[in-house]
Amino acid sequence: MKRKSIALCMAVCLCAGIFTGCGKDGESQETAQKMQNEQDKQEKEQPSVVSTVFNGELEHDVTIQVLENDTAVSKGYFAELIEAFNEEYAQYGIKAVDANMDQYLDLANDGPYGYGPDVLYQANDIIMQYAEGKHIYPLPAEKMECFEQIPEAAWAAYRIDLEGTAYTCGVPVNVQAPMLYYRKDLLPQDWENVWDENGNKIPDMAENWNAMYAYSVSRHAENSSQYGYMKSLFDVYFSSGFLFTYGGYIFGNNNTEPADIGFSAGEAEKGAWVLSQLASTMNEECIDDSITTNAYSKLADGTYFATITTPDMYSTFLEEMILAYEEEGLSKEEARAKAEENLVMTTLPALPESGDLTEEGASFLAAKSMGGINGYAVSAYTKHPNACLAFVEFATSYEMMVRRSELLGVAPARNDAADAVGGTSQLLYNNLEAGNIVLMPSIKEVSQIWTPGETFFIDLAKDAFRPEEEKKYTDLDAMKKGLEGVDQQIYDAIFTLK
Amino acid sequence: MKEKWSRFILAVRDSSWKVKLSAAVMGGGQFLYGSYGKGISYFLLEIVIIAYMALRGVKDIQGFFTLGTQKGDAWLGTVGDNSVIMLLMGIFAWIVLAAFLYLYQLNLKDAYHTQKIIENGKRPLSFREELAQLLDKKFYITVLILPVLGVCVFNVLPIVFMILIAFTNYGGDIVPPELVDWVGVANFEKLIALSQFAPTFFKILGWNLLWAVVSTVLNYFLGLGLALLLDKECVKGKAFWRAFPVLAYAIPGFITLLAFKFMFSYGGPINQIITAGGNTAIGFLDLDAKWMARGIGVLVNCWISVPSIMLLATGHLSNRDMSLYEAARIDGAGRWKQFQKLTMPFMLFATTPVLLSQFIGNFNNFGIFYFLRGGLYVDGYFLASDTDLLINWLYNLSIDNNYYCIGAAISLVIFMITSLISLIIYVKSPSYREEDTFQ
Repeated sequence: MKRKSIALCMAVCLCAGIFTGCGKDGESQETAQKMQNEQDKQEKEQPSVVSTVFNGELEHDVTIQVLENDTAVSKGYFAELIEAFNEEYAQYGIKAVDANMDQYLDLANDGPYGYGPDVLYQANDIIMQYAEGKHIYPLPAEKMECFEQIPEAAWAAYRIDLEGTAYTCGVPVNVQAPMLYYRKDLLPQDWENVWDENGNKIPDMAENWNAMYAYSVSRHAENSSQYGYMKSLFDVYFSSGFLFTYGGYIFGNNNTEPADIGFSAGEAEKGAWVLSQLASTMNEECIDDSITTNAYSKLADGTYFATITTPDMYSTFLEEMILAYEEEGLSKEEARAKAEENLVMTTLPALPESGDLTEEGASFLAAKSMGGINGYAVSAYTKHPNACLAFVEFATSYEMMVRRSELLGVAPARNDAADAVGGTSQLLYNNLEAGNIVLMPSIKEVSQIWTPGETFFIDLAKDAFRPEEEKKYTDLDAMKKGLEGVDQQIYDAIFTLK
Repeated sequence: MKEKWSRFILAVRDSSWKVKLSAAVMGGGQFLYGSYGKGISYFLLEIVIIAYMALRGVKDIQGFFTLGTQKGDAWLGTVGDNSVIMLLMGIFAWIVLAAFLYLYQLNLKDAYHTQKIIENGKRPLSFREELAQLLDKKFYITVLILPVLGVCVFNVLPIVFMILIAFTNYGGDIVPPELVDWVGVANFEKLIALSQFAPTFFKILGWNLLWAVVSTVLNYFLGLGLALLLDKECVKGKAFWRAFPVLAYAIPGFITLLAFKFMFSYGGPINQIITAGGNTAIGFLDLDAKWMARGIGVLVNCWISVPSIMLLATGHLSNRDMSLYEAARIDGAGRWKQFQKLTMPFMLFATTPVLLSQFIGNFNNFGIFYFLRGGLYVDGYFLASDTDLLINWLYNLSIDNNYYCIGAAISLVIFMITSLISLIIYVKSPSYREEDTFQ
C-alpha cells in the first residue's frame, strides 16, 4: 500500500510536469528552469528512491534473511555476526537469520515471487548485475558510518548510473587480489648477502620479478626436479595483472565501456613477454591447471619455491606444510610453529619497466593485479529495507570487519580495520588505494573475457615448450598481435549477436 | 475429408434439439436423454473451463500476444509483467483451449450417439456402467489420461515454449523485468546474415557428424561384443566381470570426464609416467592437440556409453531363438556367419530405435568436450575450438551470452538436422521395413 502511494505520488508529479507546458512561454521556461534546479539539487543531496525506501524508520518485530559467504558460515563468523546483531537489535524485535540458500541464487527470477534473501553478500560483479535490473536497492552510502573509511576505488565498484542518476548499490567488505606465497626456509642460505640488494631484510625475489626469475633459473639448474616460481598461466585472473602493469585494461571508461577492450592497450605485450620468460623457468604443467591443483602439496614438499593465489588460500597452504613437517618427524605444535614461520604471504613483486627479466639494474613498476571486492547489498524485494540497512551497517562496523578478517583471513575494505589487522590486509588495502588492484568490471560483458584470455595465455605458455621453428611468439610484435586477437575475440563474443 | 464433411452435415441435420442443446450447454443432451451422471460431468467440465478462461485463460491468451505491457520496477514497487511467465501461461491456456475443443467435440458426438441408441429402442448406458467400462473395455483411457496430461504439461509445453522463444528477442539485455517482444524470424535472419558463422558452422558440422557416427558405431559394437563375450559359457564369474562396466556406468558422467581430464593433463599420472621415463610431457588435450583430443574424446565416450549398450544387448541376446543357431550349425554355418546372418539382424531389428537415440545423444553430447577441453577458442574457428560440437558452439554463442532467443533458433536448426537424419535412418532400418520379422 505504501509503495502504491509512493508510485501514485510520483505519477501525479509526472503529470504535473507535463502540465507545466500549459502556461505562458516565459513563465514556463522560468518554471522549468526552477524545477530543473530543484531536481538537480535533490539529486545532489540524495536520489529520491534512496531516501524514500531508507527513511530511517526501523521496521519492528521482523526477521531478515541473510545470505552469507560459505566460508564465513563454515568458520563460524556468520554465527557470531548474527548473534551479535540480534542481541543489539532485540529491543526492536529485529532478528537476522541464515537465508540457508545456495550462493548462486537467482534474485532476478526468484525475488519478484517473494523468494531469496533480504541481505546478500556477493562479489561486486554479481551484485552489480542485479543492480542493472533494479533487483537490489540503492543505498544511502554517504550517510553510512563506514563511508569515509572505505576508499573511493572500492565504492566505485558498486556505483551504477541509471537513467542519468548515480546510485551506490553495495557496501564493500573485503578486498580480494592475488598474493605471492613463498617459503622462507627454501631461500638460499646466503640470501641476506646475495639476494637482498637493498638490505631491507626482504629477499629480492619477493620484491621484484627479475630476482624471482633469476632464482627460479638457478634453483632448477641445481636440481632439475625443483622449481622456483610456479603457476598455471592460463588463469586470466592471475595472469592479466602482468598486462595491466604495462597499460593493458579490461574495458575502457573505468571498466564500464564494453566496446573498448584493452588487453593489448599500451605496452601490454611486455606483460606477455614477462609471462613467457617465467614459463620458460617452469615445466609443461604451467600450460594447464596442473599447478593450480598441485601447488599446495608441491610448495609444502619443497618442489616449488613460490606461487601466487588469493589470500583466502593461506590456511590450505599452511595445513599442507604442517602435514609435510609432521611427516619429517615434528610434533603437531612444532610443525605448526615452523609452518607459520616459513610460509610467507605478501603482495606481488615489482615488474621491470622494460619487461626484460634478465635486465641488470632495471627500474621497476609496481605490479598491478586483477581483484574483486565482496560486499553486502539489500534485495529490492525485501519488506524491511531499514532493518536490512541496519544489519549492513552493523556488519560493516569496525569491530565486525576486524573480527571477520581475524577469523577468515580476508583483507578488510575499511581503512581502520585494515590498520588494526595489519600485515597483508594493510598491504592489500594500500594496493587498492594506490590503484594497483584493478577491480573486476561490474558489467555482465565481463563473462566474455575468460575464454579468449585463457586461450591466449595457454598458447603463450605452450610456446615456451615448442621447438624453436614452431614458436609463435618470438618477439613483442607477435605478442601484441596475439593480444589484439584476444581483444577482437572478446568483442566478437559480446557484440556479434547483440 | 469430403466424406467426413458430408457425414457431419448429415448428422447436424439429423440431430434432435436435445443434441443441439449440448452444443450450447455441454451435457445438456445427455441429461435430457436420461444420462444424468454423464450430462452433469460434461456440464461441470464446461463450467470449470469457462471459469478458468474467465479468471485467467483469456488474460493469458492476450498476454501470449502482447508478452506484457507494464515493465516492473522493484525500486518503485511497480509489479510489472514477466514476459517469460506470460508466454508460458499463454501456451498453457492454448493447451487448455485445445482440450476444451476436444471435449466439446466428444460431448456432441456422445449426445448424437445417445440419440441414435434411443431411436433404435435401446437404453443408453447408466453412469455407473460407463464408469465400469473405464475399468474394462475403455481401460486404455483410464491408464492413458494421466500420462497424456503429463506429456502436455512436461513435454509439449516446454518444447513449444523453446520453439517460440526462437521467435522473440528474449536474452541479452532483454530479460525480466525488461519486456520481451515477438520478432518473427529475425533471429534466423541474423544466423544466416552473419557471414563469419558459415565456415565455422560447416567445419563443426562435419566434425559433429563424424563424431556422432564413429561414437555410435564404436559404442554399439563394443557394447555388443562385450555382451557376447560375457554371454559365452566358457566365461567364469560373469556377474563379477559385468560389475566393472556397470560401475563405470554408475559413476556420474561429469566425474568420469573430470577424472579423465586429470589423467591426461600435464600433471596427470600418464604424463608422470612419460616424464619419469625421461621423455617430454605430451599435451594430450592442449591447444595443438586437435586429433589427439578428438580421439581421446571418442575413447572416453566409449568408457561412459559402452556399459549401457552392453546391458541392453545382454537383455536382448537372452531373447534369441537358440534353435535357429542350432539349425545354422547343422547347416554348417560358422560363428561369423551366425553372427552376420542371425545375431546382427536380430539385434539391429530390436535396437535400431536405441541406436538412433544413441546417435542423437552423441550428436548433442555437450559434456564430453565441455569438461575435457572446454575454455578454448582455436584459430580458424569463430568463438569455438576444433573439438567443439554444434551444441558446445551453441552454448558459447548464446547461453554464455544469455542470448536465449538465438540459442533457441540454433537448437531448432540442430533439431531439423538430427530429425532428418534420424528419420532417414529409421525409415530405412529393419525395425520399420520388416516390422513383422521377429513378432
